[in-house]
Formats: sequence, C-alpha cells, structure tokens
Amino acid sequence: MSIREELNQWMLENLTGEFEQIRWRGGPGDEDSSPELRRAWEQKFGEAGWIGLQWPKEYGGRDLSLMDFVEFNEEYARHGGPGRAGHIGETLMAPTILAYGSEAQKERFLPGIKNGTELWCQGYSEPNAGSDLSNIKTKARLDGDSWVINGQKIWTSLAHESDWIFVIARAEEGSKGRDGLVFLLVELDQPGIEIRPIHQISGTAEFNEVYFTEAKTDATNMIGDVGEGWKIAMALLGFERGASTLGQQMMFQNELNLIIKTANENGRAKDPTLRRRIAEAHAGLKVMRFNALRMLNGTQDGSTSKEGYISKIFWATWHRDLGELAMDVIGADAEIIEDELSPLQKLFLFSRADTIYAGTNQIQRNIISERALGMPKEPRGSANG
Amino acid sequence: MPSFPFQEDHDMIREAVKGWLSDWEDGGKTLHRVAKEGQGFDRTAWEGFARDQGMAGISIAEQYGGAGMGLLGRTVIMEETGYTLFSAPFFSTCVLGADMIEAFASEDDKADLLSKIASGDIIISVLDGRNQLTLKNGALSGVVSPATDAAHADLILVAAYDEDNNVALTGYSPNTAGLSVTPFASIDPTRSQAKVFFENVALSDGQAIGKTDNTAFSQILQIAHGALAAECVGGGQRCLDMTLDYANQRVQFGRQIGSFQSVKHKCADMFIALESARSASYFAASPDLDDDPVAKFEASLIAKNYAAEAYFKIAGDAIQMHGGIGFTWEYPLHYFFKRARGNRALFTSSEDGFQMLADQIGLAQNTTDISGE
Repeated sequence: MSIREELNQWMLENLTGEFEQIRWRGGPGDEDSSPELRRAWEQKFGEAGWIGLQWPKEYGGRDLSLMDFVEFNEEYARHGGPGRAGHIGETLMAPTILAYGSEAQKERFLPGIKNGTELWCQGYSEPNAGSDLSNIKTKARLDGDSWVINGQKIWTSLAHESDWIFVIARAEEGSKGRDGLVFLLVELDQPGIEIRPIHQISGTAEFNEVYFTEAKTDATNMIGDVGEGWKIAMALLGFERGASTLGQQMMFQNELNLIIKTANENGRAKDPTLRRRIAEAHAGLKVMRFNALRMLNGTQDGSTSKEGYISKIFWATWHRDLGELAMDVIGADAEIIEDELSPLQKLFLFSRADTIYAGTNQIQRNIISERALGMPKEPRGSANG
Repeated sequence: MPSFPFQEDHDMIREAVKGWLSDWEDGGKTLHRVAKEGQGFDRTAWEGFARDQGMAGISIAEQYGGAGMGLLGRTVIMEETGYTLFSAPFFSTCVLGADMIEAFASEDDKADLLSKIASGDIIISVLDGRNQLTLKNGALSGVVSPATDAAHADLILVAAYDEDNNVALTGYSPNTAGLSVTPFASIDPTRSQAKVFFENVALSDGQAIGKTDNTAFSQILQIAHGALAAECVGGGQRCLDMTLDYANQRVQFGRQIGSFQSVKHKCADMFIALESARSASYFAASPDLDDDPVAKFEASLIAKNYAAEAYFKIAGDAIQMHGGIGFTWEYPLHYFFKRARGNRALFTSSEDGFQMLADQIGLAQNTTDISGE
C-alpha cells in the first residue's frame, strides 16, 4: 500500500467523532482554535506512527523519501487534517536535533516529538532583532550546570500551548552580530518565564511575547557549541522549506474553492474584472505547485536551488492577494461579522502577516538579489551595538 | 543529473542549440540586420537550423522522421529561440502547423506533411480564420490579419467554419486563385507578419486536411499556443541577464547601480516573475499531462498567459533599469520588449486567455462570449 493509501485509510477511520470539529481548522491564522482537542489529535497522530516518517529507522522513523513525504502531506491536507500542534517540533526542531544534536539529546527529545506529547515553539525574533535577526540581545550565562537566560523574545507562535522553546541567545559578553551566540532548548513551565499573548489584527492571538528573567535550562540542553548558535539557527530555517509546502497548497486550494463558490452564488462570477482576478489566482496556485516540484526535485542534498529562493515571497504575496480578492468577491457584506470572523474574513486579516513573518518580502528580495542573482551586497551599518 | 523536468537528451539538445543560436544572433548584430532587411525572416539561417541541425523535427514523432522528443523537446527549442529572437518560423511550422496536422489530418497527409516538416522542407503558416473569414457557396472571403509567417509560407493552413459550423482545416498554396499575401512591417521587426486576403477562395481549390468541432479545435490550438510560454521564458531570461550585466558594471554615485536596493529589488521581482513563468511553461509541457487533454489545455492556457504577462513586465522593467541606453535602437533590448508585447496580444490576448481560464475553473459564464464559440 502506498503511503497515500495508508494515510487515507487512517484518516477516514480517525478524523471522526469529536475531531470532526477541527477538520480544516488550526492552520495559520487559526492556530488558537481548540488547543486541547488539537493537542489530543497530535497524540493520536503520534501513537499511530505518523510523526517523524522521514527520520532514520533507528530513531523510530521510516526513512520516507521526499516525494513520498510530499504525497503524505498532500493526502493529509486533502482530508482537511487539522493544523498540527506539533508541527514546529516535527519540521524544525527534530531535523535540527538529528543533524546537530548529541546522542543523549536525540534520546531525550525525539520521543516527545514523535509521540505528540511535547510541543515546541521558536524563540528567534526580539523587539530589536526582526529582519536584522543577528542583533540578538537576550543573554545566556553558564552558571554551574545551568544556563541562565535573561531577555525577551517576540512573535513566538503557540508559546502558550507549548512545552519547550528553542532560543538563540548571546553567550559571549560584548560579542556582536552572528558571533558569540548559543542555541538552547528551554522548558517553558518555570518561574523565570512569562508568556504574554499578542492581540493581532485578526482579534485572535497565536503570537506571544516571551520574557526570560533568570530562566534556567540544563547545561546539556545546548545544541552545538558556544559560538555556533547562528549556524544552527540558520540550518533550522533551511528545514522550513520543503515538503510541507505542498500540503499548505492544498489549504490554499480549499480557500480558493470557497471563493469560487461564493462568486458563483452571489453572481460576482460574472464580473469580468473579478473573473480575471480569480483566474489569475488559480493560475498562481498551479504555478506555485510546479515551483515547489522544481524545488524539491532540484536539490536532493537539502541546499537551496536558485529557483527555491522565490518560494516564500511567491506564496506569501499570492496568499495576501487572495485575502483581498476574497473580500472583494463577498462584496459589501464582507464588513459584517456574523457571530465570529468567517474563514474568508480571517484569511483577509491574517494573510497580512504572511508577507512579514519568516523573512519579509523586502528581506526576501534582498536574499534573491544577493544569493540567486549574485548582485552586490547591501552596505551594512556599523552601529550595531 | 538532468534539470527537472527534462531528461539528459533534452539538456544535450539545449547545449547544442544554445551555441548555434548564440553564434547566429552575434550579440544583437543579426537582429539589427534582420530588422533592416524588413522581413522578420532569415531564410538561410532557418534552413541551417531546420535542415542541417535537424531541429525542425524535434517534437515530430519518430515514425515521420522526427526526433520524438515531445513537448519538452520543443520547449527547449522555443526557450532558446526566444533567448535570441531567432527570426524563423519554428513556432508557425513545427508547433502550430505540426499540431494541427497531427490532430486532424488523415494518416496519408500526416505521413506526407509531418515528414516534410521534420526534414525542414516546408514552411507552414496557420491562420485561425474562424472569426475573420466567411464561407459562401463553398468559397472563403475576408482578411486574416495578422498572419504570422504567411509571407514566406509554402502552405497556408486555414481554419474556418464550414456549413455545419464545424471547423474545416484547409491547406492552400500561396498561389491559389483569389488568395493574396501582403507582407506588412511589424512593430516587432524580428517576426514576420502579413495580411492574407481571401476573395472567393474555393475550399475545393485547397487540400482538405480535416474537420473537427470547435471545442476540439480550440483545445489543440491552445495547447500549441502553450509553447509560446517557453519563448517568453527565454526572452525574459535574456532581459534579466542583460539587466544584471548592466547593473553590475554601470557606476553612479560612486557605486555599481546593482548595489542599490531599488535596483536589486526590481531585479528580484523580475527573477520571481521569470521563474514562475518557467514553472508554468514546464508544467504545460510535462509528460504527466499526456493522458489528460483537458488538464493539458488548462495548463497551456495558464502557461501562455502567465508567461506572456511575465515577459512583458520583465522586458519593461529591463528597459527601465537600463535607463537611457535601453531607449535607444542601437541597444538590442527593444526587440525583446516588442516581442513581449506581441506575445501578449497574438494567438489570443491575455485578457481573453484569463477569461477562458475563468470558464475552465467553473466560474459562471460571462455574458459576452469571448471564446470564439
């Protein structure tokens, strides 16, 4: 049986009962919906052996090929599988631990991800380290057998639902930029950590501020060495691009279908301008799919192919445009909130974040022009202290 | 490893064609010569390319003497001819003409005409006369304009409605009574354009190639048009390459202009448009779609229109990034800009193309009929 058929069978049998209500829920912009149920779903998913399929067999994975993993993600999305509470752990933390962690760290952390029992969040951005990510101010000092952490992280998705956070912090006093950083794994449930939700443009709150005041983690919970934090942090971001993009596109297709249905029902499908915009959105989604296939087929070694650099800005811009299109298709009634924000209203508001997080469109253009096109580097300011 | 979705033999053909065409184009010098001669057609080069290099038969089936390299094969050729604005009727003859014959002709006509195409012994111009020609007493009248590559065609393949409102495909010699071909200068001087006048041209004076219903004809036509996406990708790549070269050597305010963010971001946008168009083009040529004509039709529609829009934007941006020199005749960028503009409008406009796509994805019909049906 192919992985697609295997998962299809399981989803038909298990995305039922109480889990019906989280079908198609919990994606970006909706990540604060039904947290308890989605945590339960993550554990059920883990118990069934669906987490860590790409990992080596010795760590409980199945060594699944990239293209099979793509199929798996597409099938999951086709069923409207709930946004995965454990996705940061599985897609970012685990590959990083597998690549850079010690044996002891693999034994300690991989099972919790695999079973869906330990959820992770990402502690990168700070109030003064957004696009200029290396301008990290959060400090870590080694005190006996523990790292002691002070500072603030921001835009931490799902911190309030997570058990652990991975943090880049400055370990060498007086170091600047990419030097002197450490990559630490920190348990969230401790007196030195305070989590404050950020209320967003959409009225929901899946992002947080995380304050560290003499927070502690065991000295063994460092990945790599002192001074290697930047290298590991960037390697982790490299894992972000990949197979999950095709699953994401199934969610997009679902949103586009809803827009087409709305246009046909309210008659705006006959408006030539809207027809063209919807047709262009459809074309864009097909292009996105083939962009992803080219990217996935272009690099078996995990490095970024030239065309791979357009992935983020392309989907983010497409999705933000889709949000605007959705509202225009609904028409004046798009202003009315019945009961709660409708999926298309949420799409419109939350998609403003798409072109900002994980590298703004402006940063993406810098990256494309410098790395894909080899243009001269942006002169950098020196007052980076 | 071959570059997805191509196979190794495609990559080899690309290398060979690239070198040959680059010699032909000679850094823009040949484009100036072609423009000066005013025909949009370099016969000597075409014969060398089609016959000696054997490129005319790239996607013709092996049984007719072609190389059988399918849609991906001609994608390679169209991309490279687009990169150099090769002024020859590859698209008219080896894509449009060949597809029409392949889809609608009898086995005997296929054997005859496809092998002539493959050996480079015939130039075909395909005219979609469905809306421009009328049939009365078994004869066609009207004007088809613009008629790409008709000025030097050996065979003019005309699609027109017959008495039953089907589409009849008829092949005419340019010497047929009542038929006259008048070459016109084109705003895009590297492409040959003409008007073809029909004055009571009897169907029986031509070679009846085949007959089909309108939908089937539109589908085959559109799949052929899909190949233009590759030409747009090639041309867009050339515009970007020229822009990067220029931005990296031109110095203003004591810096390469390519180090300014406004220039870098514009180039990044050109690259995004280009690579997306490339994906659309390769997807439409993907063998995965071979068994699904409707999906292939849709993919071709997307490819042609998406890539034509991208090319036009890229070419316009390229002129802007070059500043004054991009506005001169001497600097060959304008030829690409003109080709990009032409591709947006010829062989279904982008506007009509996206409206057809809207139909295709199940948006309720527009009141105005744009599909020619």
